[in-house]
Amino acid sequence: MSTLVIKDLKVSVTENEQERLILKGVNLTLNTGETHAIMGPNGTGKSTLSETIMGNPAYHVVSGQILLDGVDLLKMSVDERARAGLFLAMQYPAEIKGVTNIEFLRAAINARRPKDDQISVTDFLALLDKNLAELNMSTSMAERYLNEGFSGGEKKRNEILQLLMIQPKFAILDEIDSGLDIDALQVVAHGVNAMASPDFGTLIITHYQRLLNYIVPDYVHVMMDGKIVKTGDAKLANTLEAEGYAGLRDELGLDVPLTDDDVE
Amino acid sequence: MDATTLLAGVQAYAHAQNEPDWLLKLREQAVAAYFKLPLPKFEKISYKDWPLFNFTAPTAIESAPVTGELAATAATQQFYAVGDSTIQLTLPAEALQQGVILSDLRSAIQHHGDLVETYLMQKALKLGDDKLTALNTAMMTNGFFLYVPKNVELKAPIEILQVVDNRTQQNYFSHNLLIADTSSRVNVIQRLASVGDQANAAHVLVEVVAEANSQVNFAGIDTLDHRTTAYLNRRGYLANDAKLDWELAEMNAGDVIADFDSELKGRGSEAMVKTIAIANREQTQGLDTRVTNYGKKTVANIVQRGIILDAATLIFNGIGHIIKGAHGAKADQENRLLMLSSKARGDADPILLIDENDVEAGHAASVGRVDEQQMYYLLSRGIPKPEAERLVIRGFLAGVITELRSQRLRHELNALIERRLTDGNN
Repeated sequence: MSTLVIKDLKVSVTENEQERLILKGVNLTLNTGETHAIMGPNGTGKSTLSETIMGNPAYHVVSGQILLDGVDLLKMSVDERARAGLFLAMQYPAEIKGVTNIEFLRAAINARRPKDDQISVTDFLALLDKNLAELNMSTSMAERYLNEGFSGGEKKRNEILQLLMIQPKFAILDEIDSGLDIDALQVVAHGVNAMASPDFGTLIITHYQRLLNYIVPDYVHVMMDGKIVKTGDAKLANTLEAEGYAGLRDELGLDVPLTDDDVE
Repeated sequence: MDATTLLAGVQAYAHAQNEPDWLLKLREQAVAAYFKLPLPKFEKISYKDWPLFNFTAPTAIESAPVTGELAATAATQQFYAVGDSTIQLTLPAEALQQGVILSDLRSAIQHHGDLVETYLMQKALKLGDDKLTALNTAMMTNGFFLYVPKNVELKAPIEILQVVDNRTQQNYFSHNLLIADTSSRVNVIQRLASVGDQANAAHVLVEVVAEANSQVNFAGIDTLDHRTTAYLNRRGYLANDAKLDWELAEMNAGDVIADFDSELKGRGSEAMVKTIAIANREQTQGLDTRVTNYGKKTVANIVQRGIILDAATLIFNGIGHIIKGAHGAKADQENRLLMLSSKARGDADPILLIDENDVEAGHAASVGRVDEQQMYYLLSRGIPKPEAERLVIRGFLAGVITELRSQRLRHELNALIERRLTDGNN
């Protein structure tokens, strides 16, 4: 079993040449075998948390710790964190024309293997075919340039394809449901559920409860104004769906503005 | 070399080769033009001290075939030459039956003199153009000659490998002629490489004449080594409704100046020029790419992408020129460079010269660094930084040549890019 621990994490970003504190002390523990969901209104720091765990240089850790099985992730570069077992399905995956999906996937897999034991073409293609089928994706999509000209839904599917190919210890799915129609949502959820194992943990970040009908979380955390303000089981998501974030805010007596115009 | 010595040397060579009188005259005029004309100007590059002018009187030298990796490529070529020696010539039976001619320039002069006389330095390039083309015309000793007759459509590409022989010190003045006659279609891949460890200059002219309604796709993959200083000139001439697509990869390791020009003479003709280049170490590569719209409703497109490493210099001058009378013409260009070192020097200069009113012209240029978003994405999948950087760079270059004829060619190019990025000399 692996454990990802986030301790009193404070993170800022630079906005108009000034540092603005986004995460104001986040505590969270994820074990493999568990599915966690973080919900919350726009601008509360959900994406900041996921990007900080991955190591996006745009986010500055002010204080706190992120530990993977006791190892300090904050001392590691982005690629080292990935090889240590982290995966971030991004909200806005980059497009790279001129590099095919296939060669990108091979490079990602081989980066985790010793130089003298790179994956064979046959093994790679067998693995690729299996995972493409899992996600209802065509072979031609794998042969296209990385995310180039992909629709929003295709990009999200492609993120999940990478997840299946790479088999990380922990996956963070950052608004994987945004821009997906119900059919695509089911396919994506099916892909994520196919990963379920005692050696795999998921952190789902979402605005809406809908995705959680398909990927049922063990824990639901509500984030507001840079902190986790409430933790519960899957039922908490349903309550939120019914009562909205304002209801919870008032119940907890928080003085938090709920606006959509803050930048995450 | 003074004028008298050069003239005597050129005359002696022409006699020794039994060249026809018209060619001797052309060479004699070329010698005079060489001494009269100025060097062609390459913005921001001073090459007058480059060893491009260390040549001796033309002679017929024999070169032996190459060995190793290059020999494997050579085996698959329709035309393969080392130095002045043509080693392999093959054409599919179908092409032969349709009257396609593929030979070297020497034998074309002897056997297809009329065609050579009609086209050599008459349409695409001309004697008055500049000092370097004049020098080549005076000194040229061989090259390829390809003629595709009217209405003939060749599906399989004609592949040409020309190797500069640096195993001994020698001249290299190569003059190449491709004529696509009316309504013909042809794909050509020209590879320029080098062998040996002597320092030589390579002067290479390619004239492409695309007659009315013809379509020519021309890929050039240039991999001259760091000891070869080169002047490359590929010039297209387009008649009515002709189409000429250039895809040029400048993967040379030595100092290079190159002119890639297309003349849209005929109404409705279209040229697309895509150039990619990598410059590394101390190398300088200067590429002038020009398309001139003469005819009405002509279309010019230039896309250039380059990478600069180490202390190298890479200059892209993109020139779009619309001549008065070219009503309804379009000229568009994009020049982009990535600089990967603080010592790298680069320029992407779009130059638009517009002498007509009812035309469309546009340009974009940038000099920048590796895309951070793309890097972050690749790193987040565990790909180590050096490899991620190579992938992003390769994408930046290869993304331009997406329509490159075949997957095999794309693989070849990707491997070349990878090699240029990881190892200084090829």
